[in-house]
Amino acid sequence: MALSGIQIYKLLPQTNCKECGFPTCLAFAMKLAAKQVELSACPYVTEAAQKQLAESAAPPIRLVTLKAAGGEAKAGNEVVMFRHEKTFYNRPGLFVRVKASEGAEAIGKKVAEADAYKVNYVGLDFTLDGFAVEADGGDFAGAVKAVRGASKRPLILIGKDPAALEPGLQALTGETPLLYAANASNWEAMADLAKKYTAALVVSGETPDALADLTQKIQAKGVEDMVLDPGGKNMSQMLTAWTQLRRLALKSNFRPLGYPIIAFPCDAKDEGVAAAQAIAKYAGFVVLSEFKPEAIYPLLVLRQNIYTDPQKPIQVTPGIYEINQPKPESPVLVTTNFSITYFAVANEVEGSGLPAWLVVCDAEGMSVLTAWAAGKFDAERIAKTIKGFDVASKVSKKRIVLPGHVAVLSGELEAELPDWEIKVGPREAVDIPAFYKQVLM
Amino acid sequence: MPIEIPKDKWPGSIRKVTLGATAAEGGTRAKTVTVGGQATMPYLHFEAPTPNQPVVAIEIKSRKPEDWSPLLAEVWGEAMADPAKWAKAAEAAGADLIVLALTLADTPDDAVKAVKSVLGATGLPVIVWGPGQAEKDNELLVPVAEAAKGEKLVLGLCEDKNYRTIVATAMANGHLIQCRTPMDVNLAKQLNILITDMGLPADRILMDPTTGALGYGIEYGYSVMERLRLAALQGDSMTQMPLIVTPGFEAWKAKESKVGEGVPAAWGNWKERAVHWETLTAAALMESGADILILRHPESVKRIKAAISELVTA
Amino acid sequence: MTNHTITFTLADSKTVTVQARTGSLLSEAARQAGVEIGQPCGGQGRCGRCLVQVTAGPVRRRSTLRLANEDIQQGFALACQTVIEGDAAVFVPPQEKIERRLTTDRVAAEVSVPAGYEYSHAQTVRRVHLTLKSPSMDDQTDDWSRLQTALRTQLGINDTGISLGLMQKISAILREGEWRVTAILATMNPETPETSPTRIVALQPGHVDEYSPLWGIAVDIGTTTVSLWLVDLVSGQARAQVAEYNGQIARGEDVISRIVYAGKDGGADEMRSLVLGTINGLLETACKRVKASPQEVVKAAISGNSTMIHLLLGIPAGNIRLSPFITAVNHPPLLTGIETGLAIATDAIVDCLPGVASYVGADITAGVLSSGLNNAEEVTLFLDVGTNGETVLGNRDWLVTCACSAGPAFEGAGVIHGMRATAGAIEEVWINSETYEPGLRVIGGGKPKGICGSGLISLLAEMLLTGILDKGGNVALTVNSKRVREGDHGPEYVVVWGAETETGQDIVISHVDVDNLMRAKAAIYAGFTMLAQQVDFKLEDVHKILIGGSFGKYINVEKAVQIGLLPDVPWERFEFLGNTSVRGAYYALLDWRERENIRQIASRMTYIELSADNTFYDAFMSAMFLPHTDMDKFPSVSAALNKSS
Repeated sequence: MALSGIQIYKLLPQTNCKECGFPTCLAFAMKLAAKQVELSACPYVTEAAQKQLAESAAPPIRLVTLKAAGGEAKAGNEVVMFRHEKTFYNRPGLFVRVKASEGAEAIGKKVAEADAYKVNYVGLDFTLDGFAVEADGGDFAGAVKAVRGASKRPLILIGKDPAALEPGLQALTGETPLLYAANASNWEAMADLAKKYTAALVVSGETPDALADLTQKIQAKGVEDMVLDPGGKNMSQMLTAWTQLRRLALKSNFRPLGYPIIAFPCDAKDEGVAAAQAIAKYAGFVVLSEFKPEAIYPLLVLRQNIYTDPQKPIQVTPGIYEINQPKPESPVLVTTNFSITYFAVANEVEGSGLPAWLVVCDAEGMSVLTAWAAGKFDAERIAKTIKGFDVASKVSKKRIVLPGHVAVLSGELEAELPDWEIKVGPREAVDIPAFYKQVLM
Repeated sequence: MPIEIPKDKWPGSIRKVTLGATAAEGGTRAKTVTVGGQATMPYLHFEAPTPNQPVVAIEIKSRKPEDWSPLLAEVWGEAMADPAKWAKAAEAAGADLIVLALTLADTPDDAVKAVKSVLGATGLPVIVWGPGQAEKDNELLVPVAEAAKGEKLVLGLCEDKNYRTIVATAMANGHLIQCRTPMDVNLAKQLNILITDMGLPADRILMDPTTGALGYGIEYGYSVMERLRLAALQGDSMTQMPLIVTPGFEAWKAKESKVGEGVPAAWGNWKERAVHWETLTAAALMESGADILILRHPESVKRIKAAISELVTA
Repeated sequence: MTNHTITFTLADSKTVTVQARTGSLLSEAARQAGVEIGQPCGGQGRCGRCLVQVTAGPVRRRSTLRLANEDIQQGFALACQTVIEGDAAVFVPPQEKIERRLTTDRVAAEVSVPAGYEYSHAQTVRRVHLTLKSPSMDDQTDDWSRLQTALRTQLGINDTGISLGLMQKISAILREGEWRVTAILATMNPETPETSPTRIVALQPGHVDEYSPLWGIAVDIGTTTVSLWLVDLVSGQARAQVAEYNGQIARGEDVISRIVYAGKDGGADEMRSLVLGTINGLLETACKRVKASPQEVVKAAISGNSTMIHLLLGIPAGNIRLSPFITAVNHPPLLTGIETGLAIATDAIVDCLPGVASYVGADITAGVLSSGLNNAEEVTLFLDVGTNGETVLGNRDWLVTCACSAGPAFEGAGVIHGMRATAGAIEEVWINSETYEPGLRVIGGGKPKGICGSGLISLLAEMLLTGILDKGGNVALTVNSKRVREGDHGPEYVVVWGAETETGQDIVISHVDVDNLMRAKAAIYAGFTMLAQQVDFKLEDVHKILIGGSFGKYINVEKAVQIGLLPDVPWERFEFLGNTSVRGAYYALLDWRERENIRQIASRMTYIELSADNTFYDAFMSAMFLPHTDMDKFPSVSAALNKSS
């Protein structure tokens, strides 16, 4: 189990020597507890303490990394059941499946298109993470080569027969693909293959007992990187299996099941909805049966949303927001991009029915007072935002209303924006409608 | 020895709330809808059964909305001009509940008329929203509440600065309320406390934590809902209200759903994407504990209803 | 219906007898008898002010909320909760005595000279008598060498420094005293005077009485309130204690506003002179009280948050506010009176105590020292309820600390009719739950001028319990009382009508005031709950909670719990220490070993930044409710609210 800062502190020398770069041993211990620093930074820690700390630091879910020339796909290292408890770390890889039976040419074409897919969301470029190739008869090695010809991303090789999979592995030397799947009848041969070709290995089993039995046997054969496939024929079974595995790993700290999970949402009735569930509920790799931009894009966005660090302040995108169809003569209200602040202001104005332009400045997600205190919401930044979004072009009456909490900025803002009239509004959003009616109308 | 599956034993559960009243109960609904009662995190049948499955409502408006996506105008067609017809179409599309949103243009008489016509056209329980401005909401919802006394409508939206009048009229006329707070666990709970302190029984409150759409802050709503559900299961009576969410409203505000032109090619086919957007927004909220999902497109309704039935069968 | 004879005995031994029916209340019988028994809460058994002692006869107590077991054994009962069941004799104690019996009031710990204080061992300044050989034509040694020789031969001091200012006066002083002179010497380490350099701080002609006072000051520069103690370093006694609002308030209520203001042209100078004005004014007041001159003060120990210390010394404070929040100096060197601009002796030693970081200054290190937290065996929580709500959690093994901006509301600033805890301040309020009429306790007993921090706490709690406020802090205009009305700043409650106040104006508390107070209490509560959470410590397991702050003499813990400022743990765990920062400065002023302890506290305290993520915001929002969004954390308040509604 993970140790708390105080528990770790008791294992440290408690001399406050500062050589680790932190002002006190307790400060260092808390950073260790948060896994933000390495124990080796402490030159005086005893061997006994080192051993104890190393045990507590081992991740409950093993990090498995698929590697190929064109990138990596990581899964594991997760520490919570619910994202608000800390965060979800490694975004599940989205893989598109092709079948050897489709023929090399069709595969090459399909993979090339999917491989080139790139979509931008709030300044981030998203792509697929890799491909799964299924050995369903036909020329498997040829299929794998066709995929490799069109994409350098990590691969998952799917098949029940180890002998059929091996030619595919031979085509991927120097990579770490994911081999699917070892089960009760083929596990020995699969483990040998995984070892021989340094592949990660999916373990299939319908119950936690069956899975744990296999992972222990396979680990004894020297394979460390494993991924769990609990099956599931509908969303309910999938959710149950994924939840149970995650709990066994995190809550029971049950090492034989401390591996990431692979999901096949196409086994449920609605692949899109089941894929959304896989993203939200603990899958490390998600295999999709087809590539369609309109279906992939929402999944990529959902994945990004769910895996955002919830400890970071909630932000809205800076910009100019129109409330109640503002007209050129409507006033310009200014606030920060902390979402609660934005909502408070936007809701009050919206609720009052009064039209306004709401300009949201990038204050690194802080509230008005906090941002001002930290120097992130000053006259210069406000002026830059007003100019950057060309607010002047939208209004006939150049009037800016500042939040009352930063009344002190009005003089400086006048200097920054000489042709604007600067008004100081109320401190609290609640008072905006009354202020609007008294001062702005 | 078989592995012991860790099971959470929760002291609390979600409160059961019944919407609508049949003739025998003093209303005119053909049937009532009950949500809540769950004693686990969503759909974990190995811990406890799901006594009442989540339901889907379709949102209609008292007047034809001019700012809705053309895709929605296409599917609802003529019916959008008449709330009674629209309600019927929504029922046919699989809605378990009807949400009737009043508009700023409505007078109190218009509002009462619209509500009555919807009540006449469908036997489903009805949720009525004001247009979203404090004074106007009070002006319209009070006569609606009085005119539909005993129907066990849900009146919305009650917010921090505008709940007293709506709560009072709900109490006087036997209705429920939908109370909305901006994406914050504490604010949600605080409003529930203030409203129950006014004397409205807790089993007549549905809470709407504001969710955001996919790509537009859904992660906050998602986590707020999970936290509220966890708190409820831990026995906190002021978070045990069923969750009502508006993925339709949220998703159709997003550019991804609303418009088909001038968007990146990587977004793919418009119509399918738009429905995906609404469906996946709803799906995520369903996973985090929604009890009532309010949607706009019939295709999304179909998909979410199918997913719910898949999830509630153990 | 049977009648019984009830005999009341008053404090002055007078007795009154009345007839009362079975089942009637002692308070009713008292009213019939014309015996004055205070019932500020309206007879609900909430306030305990109607405490009486039943010396004979059968009675039944409906509620024993306010009573300890031994109280009951001694016959104590609440008149409003006690049912008459037979003939009885009742003693009515004087009101003053009752108030001190109440278990919820926490009286500030008295200031006394630290046990075993010995000036000669502990003090770094001392007064010495020197007798110099008069110069002659045979001995033309210069005056300064002559003084040095005397120090060496008479006291064994070899290394002595002196300022130019004193050098200019040396000849006159030596001759005026006819070569007998009193020197005030400062040594950094009195245990090793041979190796420690010595400085002459003051020279006086002749031999001044050895036991006459030698003056020092301990100062706490709070963001809102400046406190100064004038101390006789010889006896160790604090001879005068004075406080005043910091003159900088006019330039901003919080440290950030001050830093911003100081960053403007001429702002730093103005800030410096404003706070010097406040301190020097206090100094004069204090000196007048003991008939001393500020120029006689030879040593000062100064505590305050890092920003206040920077502004006092005219050191740019801009980086304190900006990430990564670095001070110019956490541990200023020893300075002199003239350098700092304090109106004390030119060469007086000025010791600004060491802090830890931008937001954990000397006020906290000094506070920890004076609270004894650094020596505690069990985990203890120390709260400084001030403008920066600082919190320290720990024991003698570890200390963690955090700060959060609470605002000045609990110091009476930023609230329309708020004031400091001085004469005329309402320090406690009870509101009758039926009539909504308040009962007040005013410091000094005269007409009220305003409300101080402890008064605001009890006012808020009473408004909540009587339903004048809802849990969201909104004033319920539906309450049937003329005192609840729509005012200039939104809905408000009239605490005192103008006819009864010092100023002739109504004393009110408005919606805005309530909001400010809620923010302040929410920030403080969020601060210490987060701190405990950061080190995985449960608040209910805290052994003691030490409270510092400018609340005057008392704080009512129950009321502070009811508004959710303090956690709902058994009352006996709380201790109220008053201003811990100035007290810490006082200890450091007296004893160099305590000064060294402060330095060590500073070096081992771990600062935790709270604003870094959302969890603080969450805790804050959760506390922005009365008493708290999570009522399960406040079981005693839930019970009180259920009872009163």
